[in-house]
Amino acid sequence: MNNFSYPEKDALNRFIAARYRTAWLWQIVFLFALLFAVVSLSALILNVADGAFGYVAYEYKKDPAMISPRPLEELTVPELLAALKANLSAGAFAKLDNESPLAGRSRAELLGLVEERILLVKTLETYPLFRSLFQREQIAAEVKEKFPAARLEFRAWLNAAFITSPQSSRAEFAGVRTAILGSLWLVSIAILFALPVGVGAAIYLQEYSNRKSLLNRIIQTNINNLAGVPSIVYGMLGLAIFVRAWEVFTSGALFGVTDSNGRTILSAGLTMGILVLPLMIINAQEAIKAVPDSIRQAAFGVGATRWQTIWHHVLPGALPGILTGSILAVSRAIGETAPLIIVGASTFITFDPQSPFTKFTALPIQIYQWTSRAQGEFHAIAAAAILVLLIMLLSLNATAILLRNRFQKRM
Amino acid sequence: MMKKISSFLFVLSALALIVAACAPAVATEAPVAPTEAPAADPMAMYAPDAVTGDIISAGSSTVFPLSERMAELFQNEGYTGNITVDSIGSGAGYERFCKTGETDISNASRAIKDSEVENCKAIGREPLEFRVGTDALTVVISTQNDFVTALTKEQLAKIFTAQYTKWNEVDPAFPAEAILVYGPGADSGTFDYFNEEVVAPFYLNQDGKADVAAGKTALLAAKGAQFSEDDNVLVQGVAGSKYAIGYFGFAYYNENKSTLKAVAVDGVEPSQATVDDGTYPISRPLFIYSDAKIMKDKPQVAAFIYFYLNNLDANIKDVGYFPAPADAEKAAMDAWMAAVSK
Amino acid sequence: MLWRKSNFAPQQSDFAPQQSDFMNPNALRKKIRPAEGAVEALLFIVGVLTVFITISIVLTLGDQALLFFNDPAVTLAEFFGTTQWQPQAGQFGIWALVSATLTTSVVALLVAVPLGLAAALYLSEYASPRVRDILKPLLEVLAGIPTVVYGYFALLFVTPILRTLLGADRVGVYNMLSAGLVMGIMILPLISSMSEDALSAVPRSLREAAYAMGATRLEASVQVVLPAALSGVGAAVILGVSRAVGETMIVAIASGAGPNFSFNPLEAAETMTGHIARISGGDLPYGTLDYSSLFAIALMLFLVTLVLNLISQWFVAKFREQYE
Repeated sequence: MNNFSYPEKDALNRFIAARYRTAWLWQIVFLFALLFAVVSLSALILNVADGAFGYVAYEYKKDPAMISPRPLEELTVPELLAALKANLSAGAFAKLDNESPLAGRSRAELLGLVEERILLVKTLETYPLFRSLFQREQIAAEVKEKFPAARLEFRAWLNAAFITSPQSSRAEFAGVRTAILGSLWLVSIAILFALPVGVGAAIYLQEYSNRKSLLNRIIQTNINNLAGVPSIVYGMLGLAIFVRAWEVFTSGALFGVTDSNGRTILSAGLTMGILVLPLMIINAQEAIKAVPDSIRQAAFGVGATRWQTIWHHVLPGALPGILTGSILAVSRAIGETAPLIIVGASTFITFDPQSPFTKFTALPIQIYQWTSRAQGEFHAIAAAAILVLLIMLLSLNATAILLRNRFQKRM
Repeated sequence: MMKKISSFLFVLSALALIVAACAPAVATEAPVAPTEAPAADPMAMYAPDAVTGDIISAGSSTVFPLSERMAELFQNEGYTGNITVDSIGSGAGYERFCKTGETDISNASRAIKDSEVENCKAIGREPLEFRVGTDALTVVISTQNDFVTALTKEQLAKIFTAQYTKWNEVDPAFPAEAILVYGPGADSGTFDYFNEEVVAPFYLNQDGKADVAAGKTALLAAKGAQFSEDDNVLVQGVAGSKYAIGYFGFAYYNENKSTLKAVAVDGVEPSQATVDDGTYPISRPLFIYSDAKIMKDKPQVAAFIYFYLNNLDANIKDVGYFPAPADAEKAAMDAWMAAVSK
Repeated sequence: MLWRKSNFAPQQSDFAPQQSDFMNPNALRKKIRPAEGAVEALLFIVGVLTVFITISIVLTLGDQALLFFNDPAVTLAEFFGTTQWQPQAGQFGIWALVSATLTTSVVALLVAVPLGLAAALYLSEYASPRVRDILKPLLEVLAGIPTVVYGYFALLFVTPILRTLLGADRVGVYNMLSAGLVMGIMILPLISSMSEDALSAVPRSLREAAYAMGATRLEASVQVVLPAALSGVGAAVILGVSRAVGETMIVAIASGAGPNFSFNPLEAAETMTGHIARISGGDLPYGTLDYSSLFAIALMLFLVTLVLNLISQWFVAKFREQYE
């Protein structure tokens, strides 16, 4: 025994008060840590949103007077149709008409077409959101001085047209529809692969194999190591195996598809699946480890087989952790760029993916491409695309989050 | 309980497949429309709406905006097939064109190397070069810098290889402040070109010729030089300090005229006029490569290249580059004619 | 539900021995369940799959890396002995890149581990369930932001702040500190989410026992719950280390493209991953020494991650406690 003598009376009260004070102080520290994370997140999102909305100074390269002396906003549908027919080549007009009859389109759509194809909108300067909100007059004065002939308009670069249009080389008319679909396909394939395989591997490692065996420890270290392999190396792996070695499978030749090569959504999805697999396995393992052994013993006690125990008792208890793993995996898969480029994602592609055996693009690739351009309007649509990606991420994770909240219980 | 989970998993996978399968029905199919003849009648077979099929193009990220614009215009004019353009770097583009034979057109911001030509020949392709434009390398300083307006190539070489470390060594009239050097990394075509044109001529080997390798070593070993692979990042760096200097493509300078100034090289400022008549000393060529056999087997590729070459002048400035010299453009068109009539 | 009478109403006949039980020699034998064996075999295959992935990675990388090491211009002594990495100039000292990787990872972990753990403790022990249900997914959004965004955030937002705080002459425009800080913010949700899961899974009985002894909430959390959850927390930290070492985009953008042997976080330096990303997307021709050096770097990265993971695993195993 040491010489510690428990304090008495006043000393005791002060001792207890000191402990509670320490506890309260550390609680503040923990809260600050949490707030730091929340503040960083807000700073990031505000930073992004700052670029996705704001004033834009633009002009038309061709004079609108060439269509009609009246202002564009007043033109009627027949006048716009006539302008299109007169100024577009026969081939272009025919193609637009075939996509969707021009006579049946709305006035806004036709006006948009006139601006895009005939008048050729050119963005001169974009302004971020906070400047646009708080320095409106300054911006107006600046624009008047630098670009006297320009029009100034508040533009939300993230709008319905942005989400539903295919890509374009002009930032004002570009959309992310193809990229959204590509990303959805990719993440679906990745999770469809990684979830069962990851949980299965975790079950094997935790329930079936002898945890002290050398094989188990090698596999364990191996998985931890794989989690640290840079995504680009997974890209190279995907290229070597899925795109080249398994081309028969991933190009669809096995299923009768003849006009593609190995650079398909399937290859990329499987590559992303392997990329998030270690994350999935580690999370599932921890979740299974956390299920108290007493539950397993109780199940064995009433005569359940090993698999019955796992399926009916262990997995339900491990579900919250597995769902966290899937949330983190989806978050990782949706934001990766480098492996996709190596496996063969296209940067400009205008047709929607109809099957897993086609070429594709993904949101992170568009974002990366647009942020590296010189013109400011591309940065604006990159910011809009980032917002789209975050919204997509939240929706994909929403199911998992709700389920996790429901199943998480304190035992 | 397990039933709930199984049904949940089923619903989740079903949802994923449904979402994926429910791609909007707007496909880019359109039956062939009445043809449009851009030039004489024999060219009607190369009109955008007269051809269909796949066109696969990949390569330089510098040439990408131009190829993207051309691909979009080609599709706007009635092309019913699919064009994909990948921005992966000139090296990777040549790899896909010459080694694995996956692409029909290779975009490049540097000329093809002999080793790559060998690879192409090994798979039965003869690379055909089409010059499509010019990128003027602009040496920039911050707008806060009020003492520099023009520098010679020699001064630039010495600045970027850190032989001059302070501004007053360049010119005694300049302040005695350290020069902050920014530039692209060794993997970039811009770096290579800057080295060949500006630095290497001052590093002569025994034959009296420019020693490219020595120039590269000197550039990379320059003390205090900041390299970045992203030109927007370089813009930030140079604009941030009065004593900074850097170089990158003209488009990045053009978009940031409020914070950057261009330095006249050997007395010539970069502009449409000086690039056109060739007096601006550091402007690098942009290319696309294809092969006559591909153009024959896939007429849509020939049509696209024809459209590309014909619509360059109208669009290249908008994308941020300069047109190639008139004789280079003519040579490109001649090469095309020769390839399709073989 | 098992006890509702309608579900389970034993009849007399259920307990009386049947004729078949006496005469049937199989009556007391264990029921053969082929599915169990099949399931175990399937799970074994899946479990060992990861080993095949590693082997494939090593083979894919090793193939080209061998080309690199066999080249006469490269000697192992130079590779492991010198500190300048400029393949275009014939210098192949790997430590220039390794030092940057280590520096940025250490900065990132110094941010992510304490803050992540603290956030997890707060969410798990102090926050009300409603707050936790909202904040935990919110933090996980941080994990989903594309790394390109983080890179530009580090360059355009964090670096200017650092330059104002610490002096523009000491902090370069590209520096490892801002890249490391932002990487830490990116890894934070990884650590906080997994740790929170581990902390929540600790049986309530332990906490209640601690409270019964008179512990404050802090003492119960840190001295009782945290050690019990150490396995999960350790796994989270290991994952965090792996992620920090393998991160590409943030360092490529914010930390510069010039290899530099330095442990000073205020300087610019290129990491192993940043170098790989830059060269593979650049204009260099494939098949050159510079290109095959990428694979050697990737193998080296594999090794560095392995060493760091082994250290972390040993650390965690030492302090793990097991309940039940």
